[in-house]
Amino acid sequence: MSILKVRNITKRFKNLEVLKGIDLEVDKGEVIAIIGPSGSGKSTLLRCLIRLETVDRGSIEIDGEPMVAEDAEGRSVYAPEKDIRALRRKMGMVFQNFNLFPHKSVLENIIEAPIIVNKLSRREAEAIADQLLQKVGLADKKHNYPCELSGGQQQRVAIARALAMNPDIMLFDEPTSALDPELTGEVLRVIKNLAEEHMTMLVVTHEMGFAKEVANRVIFMDNGVIVEQGTPEQIFEQPQHPRLKAFLGQILRS
Amino acid sequence: MELEYVINSTIAILKGFKVTYGLFFSTLIFSLPLGLLIALARISRYKVLQVFTGAYIWLLRGTPLLLQVFFVYFGLPALGITLNNMTAAILAFALNYAAYFAEIFRSGIQSISKGQYESADVLGLTYAQTMRRIIIPQMVKRVLPPVSNEVITLVKDTALVFGIGLLDVLRTAQIIVTRDFDITAFIIAAVFYLLNTAVLTFIFRKLEQRYAYYSI
Repeated sequence: MSILKVRNITKRFKNLEVLKGIDLEVDKGEVIAIIGPSGSGKSTLLRCLIRLETVDRGSIEIDGEPMVAEDAEGRSVYAPEKDIRALRRKMGMVFQNFNLFPHKSVLENIIEAPIIVNKLSRREAEAIADQLLQKVGLADKKHNYPCELSGGQQQRVAIARALAMNPDIMLFDEPTSALDPELTGEVLRVIKNLAEEHMTMLVVTHEMGFAKEVANRVIFMDNGVIVEQGTPEQIFEQPQHPRLKAFLGQILRS
Repeated sequence: MELEYVINSTIAILKGFKVTYGLFFSTLIFSLPLGLLIALARISRYKVLQVFTGAYIWLLRGTPLLLQVFFVYFGLPALGITLNNMTAAILAFALNYAAYFAEIFRSGIQSISKGQYESADVLGLTYAQTMRRIIIPQMVKRVLPPVSNEVITLVKDTALVFGIGLLDVLRTAQIIVTRDFDITAFIIAAVFYLLNTAVLTFIFRKLEQRYAYYSI
């Protein structure tokens, strides 16, 4: 059952074409790892899905509802603001730089959106937050401020914050790229748990071991196109395309 | 310098407090919120607002405050609006300081990283909610130093209003000095301004400490 349908999206920034026709279909419960060199368009793809960027051409459908569709001339037409809001609410995003609200405590960070956007009472929101903090292993840091936490802890709070809005799809944009190596494990573990709970996830990552272990499907992007995709075994053990082979070769070398 | 003379002069100068402090507090009460509104308009996506507020800021920072006070007090009657000198002073000061605060707030807001907007956005907060709950609270911490500068300057700028006949602290001191041929009153006035600055500096340092519970 398709929860996400992307057809032929292109996106350019000024003179640079960053996405050159991406087709993607994601089923509910799938965990997709997106790998590729810098500048391949991986982050832009994620950002287009949650409408932090707009596409120039193509269509995106979330859970059967169109976020953007192509008109008769092939141009992208976005759904009305209200509908886009509803669709975005089905998705949560975790950023490379965490983007926690520094002036709010861990607890306040997590309950902010449930209270303000979903109109929950403070007690209801705090109950959800407590549950999520347990899940990510940070119950004892409830009243700390982001500046008092390590990067790995901050990222786990960011994950809890996104989960508090009960999304159907979680998007991770290089969740561990800004972390010291010894801190990536704690974050990857949380993401792995989510995968075991069958959360639909798209994870842009450089952690190949993680992709191999957790993903159902691995997508290799280069230069704005999906070059090759398949199961982790197919991609890592039997890469077909020369660019993928070259990329993997470079990764192994380092 | 007789103690009795100093005391009597000080009591006389105290009468200038009404004008000096009246103007000081009234200006802040009006110019701070107005400055914030102008800053938000300056960065809004409506070109008209951007241009209009840009012109406003240029105009009010680009001409002397005293000239603006004169315009309001002597010039407005030509348009049929006659204000008493205190009201004219408050109006001119508030409009002037709002321009300076607007630029301070604008730069404070724009110094907050884009990631804050994006994470609020994907969580479903509207622009207004993001501004009110996420951006502006962080901006406050950022702008405390430049705002404290403006506030300290304001106390001393109030002395300008003698130009439209208001008896503030400095004017009162000047009258005493002229009458008595003795600069003691000026020294008292100087002490007054110094004490004011010391108190304000203390208050702002306390504020900065209060906001030190988080960094960046």
